[in-house]
Amino acid sequence: MSQPNREPIKNGKIWIVFGVLLALLTPWYFPESFGEILIFGVPIWAIIIIAASLLLSAFLSYVIKNHWMLEEENEEHEEKGAN
Amino acid sequence: MDLAFSGWSGIIILAVYGLIMLGVGVFTYLRNRNIHNSLDEYYLGGRGLGVMVLFFTFFATQYSGNTVIGYPPSAYRQGFEYLVSVPFFIMIIMAYLLFAPRLYKLGKKYKLITPAQWFEKRYKSKAITILASLLMLYGLGNYLLEQLVAIGQGVSGLTGGTIPYQIGVVFFVVIMLIYGWLGGMRSVAYTDTIQGIALLLGVFMLLIGSIIYFGGLPTSADYMQVYSPEKLGIPDGPGIMNWFSLLVMIGIGAAVYPHAIQRIFSAKSEKTLKRSFSRMAWMPFLTAGVVFIIGIIGISAFPGLSTDESEQLVGMMASTIASQNAIFYWAMILLFGGVIAAIVSTADSILLTFSSIISNDLYGNYINPEASEHKKLLVGKLTGVVAVSILILVAWFPPATLYQIFILKFELLIQISPGLILGLYWNRLHCKAVFAGMLAGTLVASFMTIFDVTLLGIASGLWGLLLNVVICIGGSLLISVSVVEEDEAKQVIGM
Repeated sequence: MSQPNREPIKNGKIWIVFGVLLALLTPWYFPESFGEILIFGVPIWAIIIIAASLLLSAFLSYVIKNHWMLEEENEEHEEKGAN
Repeated sequence: MDLAFSGWSGIIILAVYGLIMLGVGVFTYLRNRNIHNSLDEYYLGGRGLGVMVLFFTFFATQYSGNTVIGYPPSAYRQGFEYLVSVPFFIMIIMAYLLFAPRLYKLGKKYKLITPAQWFEKRYKSKAITILASLLMLYGLGNYLLEQLVAIGQGVSGLTGGTIPYQIGVVFFVVIMLIYGWLGGMRSVAYTDTIQGIALLLGVFMLLIGSIIYFGGLPTSADYMQVYSPEKLGIPDGPGIMNWFSLLVMIGIGAAVYPHAIQRIFSAKSEKTLKRSFSRMAWMPFLTAGVVFIIGIIGISAFPGLSTDESEQLVGMMASTIASQNAIFYWAMILLFGGVIAAIVSTADSILLTFSSIISNDLYGNYINPEASEHKKLLVGKLTGVVAVSILILVAWFPPATLYQIFILKFELLIQISPGLILGLYWNRLHCKAVFAGMLAGTLVASFMTIFDVTLLGIASGLWGLLLNVVICIGGSLLISVSVVEEDEAKQVIGM
């Protein structure tokens, strides 16, 4: 096996980022005025929450693609072997 | 739902949906005749689901007809505070990362078919496997009951009462049983795909119609600024607590639903599973996000509805949009057909998992281990039919007292998660502690739910879960695990 197995749960850094994103996703840090400023009918705090949600989706995609690698190599070998 | 606009066209679209689902069942049956002799083939589609089908079958476990019908009224009542519905669906995928990678690997290694089988493999304890199986069966049964009631209400609403509730339920249940029986997981996953696409298309048309005929978000915001500025505001203290507990609870809760776990085993490869999850991570914007906007538009389109009236919001908006022109008329019919189809697709997934636990874990493991796979399957399928028949009777003649016992589902299902997830990583976890935790968590959560006890505003299921985790970890630290047992666990986990 050329690359070591990678499992998201074993990578502490990933969970620190998830923690930060979770904090950004909860609306505890906005000044009162953020409920009054609207952009296209959406209050600015809600836009920040949506942006944080997009970041979470993007980070999840990144982690799934790059930090989850337990079987893939074996399976690729199996497939090649079968052909 | 009272949709005056539909009537006969509603009946036609439901009949067409029914026929398509039956067709899928027959097609799957003809193409895969050997599946009735193998649990693997029948319950997991031969562990061969590709990215798209796997994606839609995960989609069907997360998004049901309720997402479309029930979420806009919540957004209508709560305003932007209900925006939490978008991130909480993303959190489900994060929760999967806690256990799915390893569980997929072990599922493949040991040819696991059900979540309960993992308990058997890991703890080798009859007590744990049976308790976990019963919890899952009970929770799934109640979840199924809820879907059956929703099918009946949906059908009678869509057809303006032309088709009564009871006939609606029986029609779709019979179809569901037939295609499920014929094709197992393959049928379920293929119909999930068709149903998912119909639902997504319908919801998009509803959004476009709402923007055209009621005005978009700016119109709604103008209204809120004048009449209900709190709906634009930032959630207050308790609102933030509620927001945060929803994020955590839904994330973990929806990821450990047994039918959601079982789908991990059906993936064709790790790559397929990863790609499906990756796509799921983006779906909340297209589903929960879209229905959220529809609910917010409803605030200015139908102002001043009471809580009860607001539950009909989607029906009212669709009626108005349908009356504008023929395209929207048929799009709205398609939407409501899609809603009912989505409820059926959630119900069929639950039923399949229900049968698999009977076939594989209770009957196949303890009652008659010598039985052929064909016989195990038959017992699972027949038990499923009997269970559905009983649930239909319960739906028609709701008991006057103790109806709370039919509400318990999430509270019970979540109690299997400590044993399931901790057991994947911690060799020292002791089977007695797992059993005690699961039992105590179940009793506390059930007691609090049935007698309506609340504490600090946190859901009763979470209190049970907390106790469960404390007993699991504390108990394992107190009871000494023998070197042999620890080694065995290490062997099973194998990494």
